[in-house]
Amino acid sequence: MARPIPAWLAPTSLEEALELRARYGEEAIVVAGGTFVGILINQGLLQPAALLALRRVRELAYLRVEDASAAGRPLLRIGAMTTHRALERSPLVQRGWPVLASTFALVASPRVRNQATVGGVLADADYASDPPALLHALGASVVARSPQGQRLIPVEELIVGHYETSLRPDELLTEIQVPGGLEGAVYRKFRSRSSEDRPCVAVAAVRREGRLRVAVGAVAERPQYFPEICALAAGQPTIEPELAREIGERYAAAIDPLSDARGSAHYRRRVIAVEVRRALEDLNRIIAARGGSQSHA
Amino acid sequence: MAAMEIHFTLNGQPVTVQAEPDEMLLEVLRRELGLRSVRETCGLGICGACTALLNGQPISTCILLAPLAEGCEITTVEGLGGRHPVQRAFEEVQAFQCGYCTPGMILTIKALLEEQPEPDEETIRRALGGNLCRCGCYLKIIQAAQRAAALLAEERRRQPQPGPASIS
Repeated sequence: MARPIPAWLAPTSLEEALELRARYGEEAIVVAGGTFVGILINQGLLQPAALLALRRVRELAYLRVEDASAAGRPLLRIGAMTTHRALERSPLVQRGWPVLASTFALVASPRVRNQATVGGVLADADYASDPPALLHALGASVVARSPQGQRLIPVEELIVGHYETSLRPDELLTEIQVPGGLEGAVYRKFRSRSSEDRPCVAVAAVRREGRLRVAVGAVAERPQYFPEICALAAGQPTIEPELAREIGERYAAAIDPLSDARGSAHYRRRVIAVEVRRALEDLNRIIAARGGSQSHA
Repeated sequence: MAAMEIHFTLNGQPVTVQAEPDEMLLEVLRRELGLRSVRETCGLGICGACTALLNGQPISTCILLAPLAEGCEITTVEGLGGRHPVQRAFEEVQAFQCGYCTPGMILTIKALLEEQPEPDEETIRRALGGNLCRCGCYLKIIQAAQRAAALLAEERRRQPQPGPASIS
């Protein structure tokens, strides 16, 4: 039998895209930048009946800041089709959310960042990508739209497993919302192989309004966050070295890491303890220097 | 559904090609247009041997679905004409052994220098982080990028530019 050739659906408006998404559901694979879909097709892992390409939906590529959202702090709104490179190079993002700009600049190579989108990396829900852990720690949410309306999904509820999200088959991820008001934010990417590789262990640590939020990525099927461990730092003006070590060790004990080519579960557990501690030390320095953020390669 | 028509600009010339919607641009450039400077190696967007410029920016043609090139400007090393300053720099410095990765290196450096005419070594290394050279000519390739920056600066001095450097 001849290879089935997929239909190419290329809507030019969001309305049309939502209609097609609702009509085709899981029959159509949504293509944003297409890097992940391209790899899956090359490897023979995907034979879609249709490809729904969002590239021509221009209204989904934007970066906007709302000065004061409902919660009284600035809100960054990222159109789902914004590329990694556009985010990394936006003065708006570099000024208000420097940790986002510097972390997206650590993803893969400039070629992939020119293609890959912010909506795409979240909808893929790949455990080994950099952005999910950071967006989780930043308390980001996504807008999911369907012809019936829209809902806001926190990133921690969006990614539910390996390459699995809570998006419904008639929904498109259209926007990413990242609240501001950060006292400090850090992303540490620990690589066990080459510079352009994905992380073996990724740690994002954010403090906002005195509350600490640490998310560890690339070690399990979804970013790992333990509010009860983070609560140890509640009400502390600084994160002292002893506390940083304790939080690191508790995270290492709480996570059941996976093994892959970038490291065994045993190895990862040891790296988690060290990298969480280092992230908190970095964060402490930033808070002591009154705000700012950084990403470490 | 059958193959579709895709229209884009290749090295300054408008082209129309036939492709299936799940084919990658790499395959189409080689089969339909006879280009040999774009090469498949990893098929994963990691190695850089299939690099082309899309609207002036480097991308991996091995993981770019061909229909996504619709309406875009695609540049391959064939479009540089052989005497482009980055090509001259590679020749002068002899920044290759087998030459397999060279087109990807040249295009990546061309795009970098259009954005940052005077990059430091760290910036060059970062820009080339996704281009692998199996012969291990990295030091020469970095030298070639620095030499290309100097050649381009010389060109600019000789003919002052009207405005900011345009893409491609």
